[in-house]
Amino acid sequence: MKKRMWTMAGAVAISGALALSGCGGDNGDTPSGGSINLTVSGWSLETTPEFQVLADAFHAANPDVTVEIVEYDAADYQTLIQVDMSAGKAPDIITIKEAKVTHSWATGGQLLDISDVVQALPSNVSGAGSYAIDGVNYGAPYRQDSWVLFYNQDLFDAAGIAYPDGKWTWDDYAKAARDLTAALGAAGSQALGAYEHSWQSTLQGFAQAQTPGADLFSGKYDYLKPYYERVLALQDDGAQATFGTISTNKLTYQAQFGKQQAAMMAMGSWYVATLVTQQKGGEADNFKWGIAPVPQYSSSTFAKPVTFGDPTGMGINAKIDSAKLEAAKQFLAFVASETAAVELAKIGIVSSVTGDAVTAAYFAQAGLPTDDLSKEAMSNHVTKPENPQGETIGAIQTILGATHTAVMSESQSVDDAIAEAQDRFENEIEI
Amino acid sequence: MSPRLAPERVPTAGVSARPRSAVRRRISKVTLYGTLIVASAFLLLPFFWLLMSSLKKDNDVFTVPIRWIPEIFEWHNYVDIWVNADMGIWLKNTMILSIVVTLLQVFTGSFAAYGFSRIRFPGRNALFLGYVATIAVPWQAYMVPQFIMLSKVGLTNTLWSMIALQAFGAFGVFLMKQFYETVPEELSEAARVDGLSEFGIYRRIMLPLSVPAIASLALLTFVKTWNDYLGPRIYLRDRDLFTIQLGLKTFTADPQHASQFALVMTGSVLSVVPIAIIFMAGQRYFVEGIATSGMKG
Amino acid sequence: MTTVVEPGLRRRRNRLRWRNTVSGWTFILPNFVGFALLTLVPIVALIYISFTNWNAFGAADWMGLKNYTRLFKDRSYRVALWNTVYYTVFHLPLTLAVSLGLALLLNRKIKAVAFFRTAAFFPYITSVVAIAIVWNLLFSPEYGPINQVLSFIGVDNPPRWTVSSDWSMPAIIIVATWREMGYYMILFLAGLQAIPRELYEAARVDGASSWGRFRNVTVPCLRPTTFFVTVMLSIESFKVFDLILVMTDGGPGQSTFVLSQMIFNKAFVENQYGYASAVSVSLFVICLAITVFQFLVNRRIER
Repeated sequence: MKKRMWTMAGAVAISGALALSGCGGDNGDTPSGGSINLTVSGWSLETTPEFQVLADAFHAANPDVTVEIVEYDAADYQTLIQVDMSAGKAPDIITIKEAKVTHSWATGGQLLDISDVVQALPSNVSGAGSYAIDGVNYGAPYRQDSWVLFYNQDLFDAAGIAYPDGKWTWDDYAKAARDLTAALGAAGSQALGAYEHSWQSTLQGFAQAQTPGADLFSGKYDYLKPYYERVLALQDDGAQATFGTISTNKLTYQAQFGKQQAAMMAMGSWYVATLVTQQKGGEADNFKWGIAPVPQYSSSTFAKPVTFGDPTGMGINAKIDSAKLEAAKQFLAFVASETAAVELAKIGIVSSVTGDAVTAAYFAQAGLPTDDLSKEAMSNHVTKPENPQGETIGAIQTILGATHTAVMSESQSVDDAIAEAQDRFENEIEI
Repeated sequence: MSPRLAPERVPTAGVSARPRSAVRRRISKVTLYGTLIVASAFLLLPFFWLLMSSLKKDNDVFTVPIRWIPEIFEWHNYVDIWVNADMGIWLKNTMILSIVVTLLQVFTGSFAAYGFSRIRFPGRNALFLGYVATIAVPWQAYMVPQFIMLSKVGLTNTLWSMIALQAFGAFGVFLMKQFYETVPEELSEAARVDGLSEFGIYRRIMLPLSVPAIASLALLTFVKTWNDYLGPRIYLRDRDLFTIQLGLKTFTADPQHASQFALVMTGSVLSVVPIAIIFMAGQRYFVEGIATSGMKG
Repeated sequence: MTTVVEPGLRRRRNRLRWRNTVSGWTFILPNFVGFALLTLVPIVALIYISFTNWNAFGAADWMGLKNYTRLFKDRSYRVALWNTVYYTVFHLPLTLAVSLGLALLLNRKIKAVAFFRTAAFFPYITSVVAIAIVWNLLFSPEYGPINQVLSFIGVDNPPRWTVSSDWSMPAIIIVATWREMGYYMILFLAGLQAIPRELYEAARVDGASSWGRFRNVTVPCLRPTTFFVTVMLSIESFKVFDLILVMTDGGPGQSTFVLSQMIFNKAFVENQYGYASAVSVSLFVICLAITVFQFLVNRRIER
């Protein structure tokens, strides 16, 4: 009897404390006077100067608004910002680092409807679709990287193989990788023909963007098969580092391409800025390189190559002080404007705005390749989203992530792994 | 799962005390030291790799095949981390947290353990089981409700929040209670008869007897706090509140940028040194518990 | 309680019990206040959340048992549970044995014992990221020293360790044991100090062999420590998280996907906090059952 009383008393005390802690007071800072202070979430400010550039440029144009960047850790950004949202402490403007969270943030009531801002953006802004749910916009894109093919001209010359000409299918790419490996090996070089980083997106992103009819939400993943078979063959032939070597030796793509361990590499356009910096600082070797459009599924898309990439955008915290709302909307309109894009281009960032002024500013940076194909590769392409909008996108990508490691490590055959992914889709994804 | 299962697999002590010839004793001694040295090398290997990587350039840290010794030693990493980064601040914060948390955990843990092991009162065992069982809930599962609570009272983004979070764990209570169980009940009974209060028994008898347990609790708590990542990550946001683990994370960028791996390794090496020193200096307390012999039997 | 006692005695007994309760709680209180506020309250909240569809923010609708029925149907949950049990079943006895062995080996007066103890503890204090990197290098199927040794001694098809779904879990268990043995060694070393030397002397006089002394003196006297280590090891094994995260991230495929990782992913990657909470509660219940079982067994031996 006594024992039960104690337990009961404990339970009552706990639930009391819980109720108390649940209903705290409200907090919020109201802007005083004429000046407005906006807070924006960002990450790794030293290596990601874009936040400060946008904040300064906006402040220069709107002197009565100051923009303050709240720094988060890059790798744990999503966890941290979500914890802050739960506690009602997130900044006024929330940077959407990964587009796939938009759905849960928007439906969870964390992001404001900013359709008025987004729909007034000029037509040369891409990527807004990644933040739209049922026609309502929750984010404005300021950055839009897409995947291109980096190649080392010195190694191509040494091997005596022609540079990519922008008219490659994946089979042409595979053949070049084998030829390069053989020729470089014969010339006494350690370098391999290609490097494919271990990420899931490195392979699945292309398969899903380029294969006609491929749809992540369909639960049918046969379209991955040809892409996997091609890469596994390249691995087995020694034309690229194996997944096992990459993951157990923690190889970085920066070192693999920058230290001339591979003659070509498909990678996001963000790597341009890093490579330039590393060549300047001595972390990467000095060699001539170029950018080409990524290889295609078939020759039908050579004129307008299909690639993939997610935008980075910003949304407005639903808990924002109403006095700050107008300024916040102005800021979002600004980050997706051509003025901002030119500023971003100057520091090597590929913005969501395309146009001659932006391209000119981008290629005016020192250390960039200047050939026409490189310029063409950066400006002429169709970029499909890596994470199309949908409630279940996070769970689907988790499933396909397991498929990727199972296939690439050759723990499972391609057919078995795809079959398992489809089974898991049926079993775990609630529609 | 039962504790009985274990001993069958345990190797017995290598050296028997039975008298042997001097030669055989010498051989067994050489074998013992040989084994220990090889084992130590194996145990220190990752640290050796850390040390060597801390003297490389960023892009030379991960290579195929592995290069253990750098071609050129980049000693300046050990200057850069203090001059160009805030190693001093990180060290100070980590120090404060680890010391305060350890003191509180040892004090409240040993105190509560006395209540659980020496005083009989209703509901004691259920309460104790509740304590231990909560260890089973992963922190990442309840960190959000906890964070909401603490931010309501304005404790987040302060070192206080981390101290509060880590100082009252059930681990210390459990560890100390188990150790008190080995102290014979007759000792405290005798003291009680002599008119010592419960606090007096704790202070005069239990504490001095439990030096090895306190030493190990203090050490383990210190190391846990020192190396904790997720807790400080969630609660400490300002750069001047960063601990070493958080500071080192500032060198690794997101996948789109190049990380400063060499500095990560440099910081990791520096972070191990204080603990190693504390351990070297304090390890005798695990072996020379004061006055343990002669108490029993 | 049922026996009839005279009123005076009963009153005295009641007073004693009251006094004991007060002094017991006095000792427990400093720790309990912090513990209740910072651990117990959030855990109770977590249990409540497990019956809702909360996504870490916004409204939470009451779902009844829906999250729990989903658990039973979820294939990934079964995989994670199985992997966690697999890990625990091997990691627990292995670590228990190795750390006890280490403690016995290093609980003696030999030269440089301080150095060897520090070396044994080093894996635990070295950053887990560095450990993951170095062990991955050692395990590397093509270039790793381990497989080079294995092929040298004539193993034809050496395992592919962390990049094979069959060998990734054994690899994790090896590294986890290697990493944690120094930690539990400390606890055993502390426990060994409580054993009176006289008992060993007496056993030696009786002519007991070293094995006999181990069985009849060390093991029984060390029981409270062994019990503590066993309980902590089983709980910590069920919660295994950071090492797997940095070594294999649950892969290849789902071969090292464990419960804590599922909790983290569901809560913070897929924003299904309610469901993640249900997984946590299931983990809690399993550990509670094991702990209660261990307490009961321990009490049985004690008698």
